[in-house]
Amino acid sequence: MKLLKIGISGVRGIVGETMTPEVVMDFACAFGTFVGGGRILVGRDTRPSGPMIQRAVLASLASTGCRPLDMGVCPTPVLQKSVTAARAAGAVSITAGHNTAEWNALTFINGNGTYLDEFQGQAVLDIYHLEKFRKAPLSRLGRVKPAGCGLEGYLEALGRFLDLAAIRRRGFKVVIDPCNGAGAGAVDELCRALGCGLVPVNDEPTGYFVHEPEPRPRNAGEVASLVKVSGADAGFLLNSDASRVSVVAEDGETLSEEYALPLVADHYLRRDPGTVVTNSSSSRMIEDVAARHGVRVVKARVGQSHVVQTLLAEEGSMAGEGSGSVAVRRFQPAYDAFLAMGLLLEAMAAGGRRMSELAAALPKYHIVKEKVYCQPSRIHSVVAETRKLFPDHEILAVDGIKAERKEGWVHVRASATEPMIRIIAENASAERARDDVDRVTAFVSQLV
Amino acid sequence: MDIGLSLKIGISGVRGVVGDSLTPQLAARFAAAFGTYVGRGKVIVGRDARPSGEMLENAVFAGLLAVGCQPVAIGVCPIPSVLLLTKELRAQGGVVVTASHNPKEWNGLKFLSARGLYLKASEVEEFLDIYHQGEFSFVRADRHRAVLEEPHPTRHHLARLLRSLDAGLTRRKRIRVVADCANGAGSVLMPEFLEALGCETILLNATPDGTFAHQSEPVPENLAGLCRRVREAGADIGFAQDADADRLAVIDAEGRALGEEMTLALAVKHVLGRTPGPVVVNLSTTQAIDDLAAAAGVPVFRTKIGESNVVEEMLARRAAIGGEGNGGVVWPAVHPCRDSFAAAGLILEMLAASGKSVARLAGEIPAYAMVKDKVPGTPGEAHKLLGRLRKDYADEEVSTLDGLLIQTGGARVHIRPSNTEPVIRVQAEARTRREAAAALARVKRRMAALQR
Repeated sequence: MKLLKIGISGVRGIVGETMTPEVVMDFACAFGTFVGGGRILVGRDTRPSGPMIQRAVLASLASTGCRPLDMGVCPTPVLQKSVTAARAAGAVSITAGHNTAEWNALTFINGNGTYLDEFQGQAVLDIYHLEKFRKAPLSRLGRVKPAGCGLEGYLEALGRFLDLAAIRRRGFKVVIDPCNGAGAGAVDELCRALGCGLVPVNDEPTGYFVHEPEPRPRNAGEVASLVKVSGADAGFLLNSDASRVSVVAEDGETLSEEYALPLVADHYLRRDPGTVVTNSSSSRMIEDVAARHGVRVVKARVGQSHVVQTLLAEEGSMAGEGSGSVAVRRFQPAYDAFLAMGLLLEAMAAGGRRMSELAAALPKYHIVKEKVYCQPSRIHSVVAETRKLFPDHEILAVDGIKAERKEGWVHVRASATEPMIRIIAENASAERARDDVDRVTAFVSQLV
Repeated sequence: MDIGLSLKIGISGVRGVVGDSLTPQLAARFAAAFGTYVGRGKVIVGRDARPSGEMLENAVFAGLLAVGCQPVAIGVCPIPSVLLLTKELRAQGGVVVTASHNPKEWNGLKFLSARGLYLKASEVEEFLDIYHQGEFSFVRADRHRAVLEEPHPTRHHLARLLRSLDAGLTRRKRIRVVADCANGAGSVLMPEFLEALGCETILLNATPDGTFAHQSEPVPENLAGLCRRVREAGADIGFAQDADADRLAVIDAEGRALGEEMTLALAVKHVLGRTPGPVVVNLSTTQAIDDLAAAAGVPVFRTKIGESNVVEEMLARRAAIGGEGNGGVVWPAVHPCRDSFAAAGLILEMLAASGKSVARLAGEIPAYAMVKDKVPGTPGEAHKLLGRLRKDYADEEVSTLDGLLIQTGGARVHIRPSNTEPVIRVQAEARTRREAAAALARVKRRMAALQR
């Protein structure tokens, strides 16, 4: 099966198969044509295919008359923050986030530093399909300029946003595993800025992924054991572009990536009580937390573009998804693992509580996730079929099929990034969650 | 510019117009095809100083990286330095982003073999097959590399030049030189080179930013400013390089441009005086070369137009010197490629060794006058026209090795389609300028009549 996933926020594929220089260049030309000139920041994570793709993107943007700034290796949240600071017209982030090393992707960012919205993304796709790329004549051709990645300015802004004094006073010790990704090295600077001691794991920007670059408990083994051995106050695991995070408590308990959003929310909503935006697949924990702070929860379709655009439209306080993603509107409308870590440390400093205590304050649910590979051409019809399985549930069909009941829910949807169907269930009872997922998995596997 | 004619793919690589035919996609495809052809390994990537070079260079990097090559970036670099470096670093090949003397809207890619030479015709054919078939050997993510940088790309070339020339002799004479680098790739080496030869140098247009201060083709009509400076500064000699620094024009102390045929003639005369051996030139090159070779008792071999034809023949004949009448001197002692630095070094050494002025040395070269012209015409039109013209001159001595070469009424007239532009080049050489011009006019009239 050829794996190439084209969506409103960019294109994702397997390097050497579907992510060829030409596909990359056509997309970058489409984006450059859409933006129509001006400065465009180009950063990447540390994957070995990054330099090839970055060169292709730089050449293409220059050819459309944009002025590309080569930021080298750059965490996506830092890149997004730099867009407004540099008054750029947009940015391209070269990263496949949580996907394994054979993948890479382009993510397009607009002049506000957010992922393209639906209409912008559609416009880029239309240009791509028409192949109507702007060809700048020599006099308007962009020049490629090298630039730093903007980490210094980013950390200054973060320091102003957080209660830096309180965090520094506590002199926390943390274990961070940036998975040899774009966060490598940057987390050292982060810890210096926050006055924390750092026990680094996989902290070289080599792009060598010791484990999948997905922040979730099964990849957190090294962090968990180091937290205990070193007596750290917390452990964090990042994806390859430092947009997502999962948390390990000081007692070595690896928390599900679902915890990141409600943990941060339970603290931050005190500072800025307002609407929280999430998707339909995320844990109910966030609804309980929102209720506790007296704010609304608004559901959006899965993915940073939909969720963050809804956050902006609702003028909400914060947003996130169960994948370990957290965005805070007043800092920047972008998923940002550095900010999430900073706010969690601020929460511990402010309340004088340990990470395990912050986690224990959240209601307990059980989430079970499964995935089934499926031909892209059949994926949506297979998902729609699963509606039959839930005759006495309330069905929400915004993004796949979500079947809800009082004690829990099941969500079946097509992955936005890979040719697979994701099946997620959450329930107060672990057994029920497992049963629900198994039932759907068996049904879907049979159809596939 | 007619879009149908703005892209040339052939023996000299690919050339096109930026913002029109020469897209980053095209450059990356060519680079991926080239990487597939030469195999995974080091590939040197250099460029001339054209402003579009950087964009295309990035596209070339992407194409090479995607097929698992290890690109070595050397930035703006004279072509002869790139060629020599490709060999010295034992690279699999090289890519140069350049359009030589074409107008600044143009750019292109030239491809080099592991020998540090342009791909020869048979290699170009194999490589273009891969390009056209479009099956490139893209590698998996874990086989990808990053671009390496070579900080001193001209050092091998400079060392080789100084070793091959009698630098000590030249240094003692403190020759006064005005050098015009045309804001091209020569700017990065010329100052250092002339200093090493002990010259007192005035540099013109030596910022390698590609904003051509004048048309970069080093022909007399583009050199007025340089000629004035040579005269005003009381210099012994003036040099003008083209944008990629493979060709050279020479100005005498009175500020007269010698004409680019004279560059090769001077170099040939000097080399035959110190290390005699066979000479190889192309069909269009002045007959003065035959006279000089006869005087030295060495043979002359003539080839089709195109640097790579001359160079391959030179290697086969173990030639001592050779080149093209357009100011392209090939001195294998440094490296078998057109090299404006080798040409300048040889002519400076000739001044130093003889103690004569440039004008005097030029005066000693057998006098021929050459007039050149071009008429618009695609290769297809040219082919048809040459066929008819051939019949017209059935009674005269003709050669069809490359285009049509006619010996008519004491003049030698050469007509051929350009390899790099949609024009037909016509040139005539005779003992006097009047005879040459008359022969050229006659042939052009016949061509016009046939074209109608």
